[in-house]
Amino acid sequence: MRISRRQFTKLSAAASVGLAAPAIWTKGRAQNRPVRVGCSASLTGPLSGTKNMVIGYELWRDDVNAAGGLLGREVELIVYDDQSAPSNVPAIYSKLVDVDQVDFLFTPYGANLTATIMPFAKQRDRFIVGILTLASNDQLKHDKFFQAAPWGPDGATNWARGFFDIANSTGVKKMAILAADTEFSKTAAEGGRRVSEEFGMDVVDFQMYPPTNRDFSAIIRNIRATEPEAVFVCSYPADSTAIVHGIQEIGLGDSARLFGGGMVGPQYASLMESLGPSLNGIVNFHLYVPEPTMKFEGIESFLDRYRPIAEDRQVDPLGFYIPPFCYAAGQFISTAVNATGSLDQTEVSNWLHENPVDTVVGQINFDEIGNWTERRVLMIQFQNVDGSGIDQFRQAGKEVIIDPPDYKSGELVPLMDARKT
Amino acid sequence: MTLPRFALVAALLVVAGLFLPMVIPNPYYFYAGYVVLQYVVIATGWNILGGYAGYTNFGASAFFGAGAYAAAFLFKAFGLPLIFQILGAAAVGMFLGVATGYLTLRIQGVYFAIATVALVIVLETLVHNTEYLGGASGMTHIAPPPPAWFGGQTQFVFWVMLVIAACAVVLARWLELSWIGRGLRAIRASEPAAESCGVPTLRLKLLACALSGGVMAAAGAPYPTYTSYLDPVSAFSLLIGLNALAMPLIGGTRNWKGPVIGALLLASVQQIATVTISSEFNILAVGVVLIAFVVLAPEGLLGLKSAWARPKLRLSGAKP
Repeated sequence: MRISRRQFTKLSAAASVGLAAPAIWTKGRAQNRPVRVGCSASLTGPLSGTKNMVIGYELWRDDVNAAGGLLGREVELIVYDDQSAPSNVPAIYSKLVDVDQVDFLFTPYGANLTATIMPFAKQRDRFIVGILTLASNDQLKHDKFFQAAPWGPDGATNWARGFFDIANSTGVKKMAILAADTEFSKTAAEGGRRVSEEFGMDVVDFQMYPPTNRDFSAIIRNIRATEPEAVFVCSYPADSTAIVHGIQEIGLGDSARLFGGGMVGPQYASLMESLGPSLNGIVNFHLYVPEPTMKFEGIESFLDRYRPIAEDRQVDPLGFYIPPFCYAAGQFISTAVNATGSLDQTEVSNWLHENPVDTVVGQINFDEIGNWTERRVLMIQFQNVDGSGIDQFRQAGKEVIIDPPDYKSGELVPLMDARKT
Repeated sequence: MTLPRFALVAALLVVAGLFLPMVIPNPYYFYAGYVVLQYVVIATGWNILGGYAGYTNFGASAFFGAGAYAAAFLFKAFGLPLIFQILGAAAVGMFLGVATGYLTLRIQGVYFAIATVALVIVLETLVHNTEYLGGASGMTHIAPPPPAWFGGQTQFVFWVMLVIAACAVVLARWLELSWIGRGLRAIRASEPAAESCGVPTLRLKLLACALSGGVMAAAGAPYPTYTSYLDPVSAFSLLIGLNALAMPLIGGTRNWKGPVIGALLLASVQQIATVTISSEFNILAVGVVLIAFVVLAPEGLLGLKSAWARPKLRLSGAKP
């Protein structure tokens, strides 16, 4: 096909207009466009159990928009599916920042996915809220990073310290440690060994197992043979289930008074439902439980509104573990923007470093690298769990807070006594 | 087009790539482009053994992961720059290819394919239990700043991947047109017949394994720099192996253009799907397209084009 000079000129002009149009259109709308907040979430893949986090963001967005938006502008939430794969995350966050031009970012769920974008956030000097990431900013020390989870300072090694505080206060002298061979568990286990030695406890057994292991009978028998008074466990949902079944069948012996600490899984309704009374007596970490000492402003209303949405989307019906902290992450942004009257990332960050923020999970102060100044990881004990009904966990008295002392809602019952009920 | 001229065109593309950061200011296109080019390299590497020689390899992610971890190791242990990481990764991939080939090439068809899957599991388990490489939890990889010319790390690794892609395609085309390519095609057609005609089948297959492994490992080398983080689950992902197989099958396995076309098409669709449809549509799309091509167009898009052109030739009276 031959193209005349005139046709070529017309085609060139049309192509130029076509290429320039998006930029002209974007600039024209920029003055009145919504305030955009973006992130990736694991809607599919191995971490898809965390996708209820999106409900936390959505409820925050709806509340802010119902109250007139941020600085009079509507809040728009942009969420992409990272498929639980770290390799997808860099491109998604570049899309959010460079194409969607979001104003604020939330990280993906957890430390592994977040590790891929922290250098990007620092390099671009972007405000970003960490969603249950652990120690993601310890090396980079990005001054616009803020942590939504209550791991506290030195969280990598100290987040489960409450378990050892309880052990120490009950006179435990022999500690056994069992952990999955992953970063989160290994670091906590090493931290646990250090704290045990600090308290003068004898670590009688220290075992790591491959994350794919599902048969714990030999491991539990081995632990039982060492006659520990407390067993600190760092595990993931599938292994947590197998370990709880294992101690139910094999037992830990009469010496064991304390069991649990860092098990991921018994925070989720599906596992609580399937394990039921076999959870009784286990002391484990949690971030929020509906005990009388945890009545923060807005949390009950949040959970009431969360419940029908979660049922509709067939995700975790309790929503204690992640969604309130996602809502709180949004509150960091809205509180700081309203206080400063600005969307400037530096102003908003400086304000958050200097002022406490009231959220649905309590009042939060941040240290210089964005961690909570106070560790507020709860150590709860399952007590009087009866049958597998999930509604019982919505009432106080089933997940009793033993530590930290400021939020304590009941007394520790020795493991064997609690399991008899 | 002669090989020197083809190599010159590839070199010109690489030089043009140097100026892309000035023409395209938005870094997102480099992020997405990097992934597309990465798959051009992986698919091209896979096709050397899987397409030319007809040995289906399900273990592409083993070579990719080995390359990524070799690069990360070389950087962590010796602080070597990216170019030496790529060369080191390619050497590791070639060694793995020869070792695997020597052990498995005596078996064919589905048995060979299963043996290559085992390589992924072995390497992933090895990394899981190697503390120095971060074990199961992965390792952070903070690369040194890129050359100022590129304006950002992503623009730089995109260009590096463009260089690797150009080299891989030139290598694949050279292989295809050389005596090695003819030997490999003979092996694919009938190995006993090729052997009886004097084709050194084992040597050629080992060479194909080495080159294929080297290219796929080279594709993995810039990955830690791209993501700043490396973990065994991502590096040895099933999706990499699936894409490595699907892309040449979609494009066509008979010549170098097939994997390039297949990778450009499928990887672009996947990148667009990630930020639009946002679901596991990616894997579903690969599966559905793969089944459709195996059933409807076993020779890939290039095969379809040839089949479409053939009746026209007859109609016009031209000799086929």
